[in-house]
Amino acid sequence: MGMGEEKLQSERVQSVPLEKARTFIPGLDDILEGGLPRGRTTILHGASGSGKTLLGLEFVYRGALNGEAGIFVSCEESIEQLRQNAATLGWDLPAQERANQLFLLDGRIRPDTLASGDFSVKGLLAIVSGKRREMSAKRIAIDALEVMLRLFDTPRQVRSEMHALNDWLQEAGMTSILTVRPPSRFSSPFEDFFDSMGDCVIRLDARVSEQVTTRRLRVTKYRGSGTGRNEYPYVIGEGGFRAAPISTVGLRHKPLAEKISSGIARLDEILGGGFRRGACILLAGLPGTGKTILASTFAAEMCSRGEAVLYLGFEESEAAVAGNVRSAGVDLSPHLASGRLKFLTNFPEAMGAEEHFMRALDQIDAVRPRHVIVDAISACPRMGGKRSAFEYLMRLLNACKERGITVLFVNQLSGADDYLEISGNEISSMVDTAVFLDYESSAGETNRVLQVLKSRGSKHSNQKREYVIRDSGFEILDAYRGEGEVLTGTLRQRQEERDRLEARRLAFEVEAKELELKRLRLALEQALEAIGQPGDRTVGAGSAGGVHPGQGDVDAAGGGGAGPGRERP
Amino acid sequence: MTRTRNAAEEPNTEARAPRYRLRLFVAGDEPNSAKARSVLARVCESHLRGRYELEVVDVFEDYQAAIDSHVLMVPTLIVEEPPPTRIVVGSFRDVDVLVDALGLPVAEDLS
Repeated sequence: MGMGEEKLQSERVQSVPLEKARTFIPGLDDILEGGLPRGRTTILHGASGSGKTLLGLEFVYRGALNGEAGIFVSCEESIEQLRQNAATLGWDLPAQERANQLFLLDGRIRPDTLASGDFSVKGLLAIVSGKRREMSAKRIAIDALEVMLRLFDTPRQVRSEMHALNDWLQEAGMTSILTVRPPSRFSSPFEDFFDSMGDCVIRLDARVSEQVTTRRLRVTKYRGSGTGRNEYPYVIGEGGFRAAPISTVGLRHKPLAEKISSGIARLDEILGGGFRRGACILLAGLPGTGKTILASTFAAEMCSRGEAVLYLGFEESEAAVAGNVRSAGVDLSPHLASGRLKFLTNFPEAMGAEEHFMRALDQIDAVRPRHVIVDAISACPRMGGKRSAFEYLMRLLNACKERGITVLFVNQLSGADDYLEISGNEISSMVDTAVFLDYESSAGETNRVLQVLKSRGSKHSNQKREYVIRDSGFEILDAYRGEGEVLTGTLRQRQEERDRLEARRLAFEVEAKELELKRLRLALEQALEAIGQPGDRTVGAGSAGGVHPGQGDVDAAGGGGAGPGRERP
Repeated sequence: MTRTRNAAEEPNTEARAPRYRLRLFVAGDEPNSAKARSVLARVCESHLRGRYELEVVDVFEDYQAAIDSHVLMVPTLIVEEPPPTRIVVGSFRDVDVLVDALGLPVAEDLS
């Protein structure tokens, strides 16, 4: 055993490229860049309820289905329980057992077992060794190893048995997963020890935040392979374990393509010809400014051109959205009937962000839309916090960008100042086109105004344009006439107005300086007081910390606040 | 220990004294297994002479037996008869544990 320790503590020389064993688990092989290290040991950490048993079992089961026989040793659950749990996921374990492709070993130690003197795991080795020969087994998962190890009195014994087991597994060339629950009796030295034993270490983390479970997977070590250390969301649902890989931002993104109509000729003009296909469009505005109408107009336009659109709704049902926009002259019904327009509506609280994402992805793969509308991204934090929302949106955006799908994010602002939060959010750097809808007080009346804050790759107008929503639709009027008229005539007000315009633009160019923002906030406060808009209470709140340049989008998502050493005390 | 004393000790139960069926799982003659065999043999001879059957199973020769009896640790002693089934793992360094598992009175001279 001493020899084993030395051998394991020195890094193995990887003279040949690392061979990998596919897990055949959706998404996981992408994250692992091919699979688990073949013939090596992977340590899988996870608390109860994290799905580690399932992942271990699925690794063996899917291996069996794909011609690699495997052994599963259960130290915690009975074999019958396993078969039943598996059946609920649609897995037919008995069929694989009959085919001698799968062997389930009940490795539970009877609780009344007495111990006296020294012993070892050679019984397990004998069984696995015999079965391996009999079945030509290539993979093995030992679940809840720490339960078996409880029988040993001293850390030294645990270490020596683990080395014996690991050495044997590697000599036998088995691709192995050893699952371990985070320390209860075995404290952190063991965690490090287990990690040192594995060529690959995966951590599963199921957290409940804001009453929604979020599940994350991290590969904290992969000897000889360069997998990212991001956190990846996963779900356990029909069919089993499913992880969501994300690509490095931009790496596989399709370039912006040709211009496509927003559905409103005048908006197309302002945009310098329309939206760009495959772009990320942000449509932000206060309640009642007609964001959903604008989004639906675009959807209807695309559907009329024969392009499929997926509408992800978080607030209202399909019928409610269709009904609302119909009164503004947008008829979605023919597109719903033709199937070109597809709604997926779920309350944000209904499930975790991962599941929202998976469901959206399922629909994207099923419907194959050319455009996706998310209404509204401001509801997403209710999936389990701001960070979950951010990750959901980034992943969705990545998935769409990789497929050349246009994404239109609707953002409902609660106060006129909220767009600064967007600009502080890393999403802003991903936004290609930003359209801002606002109220403007002019000549004693409040009007709706539209402004294009950003339109990547197009010469666009920054000018504010007044618009109205008629029963014939969204109509943009001639150039905004408010300035210079009676009530806005003073120099000061004009200066404030210019400040607002300028600051808005700057905010989206990520270089907004704090001073300017303070000034802007003041100006906004005054402006809002002047027009008596609701929502002015939020002005300035929460945005001070939000003004960071959006850089390193996904790295920030994956690593933020959860460094690799976080779980250790 | 008092729990089992009656069955083993009462003089007039000698004829009806329980018969033992023991299975010891070993791994060849590795040290723990060898130690367990010798300790078990001594205890059986001194306490159970004439009324025990001991089967020694080498897990590397008969891994199916290990599967059937859920034996992952070696050495493992399974006391199959008399009921209830008792399981002791280890080289029996502490003989008392073994003696207790067999339901015998602890004696000084066994270690």
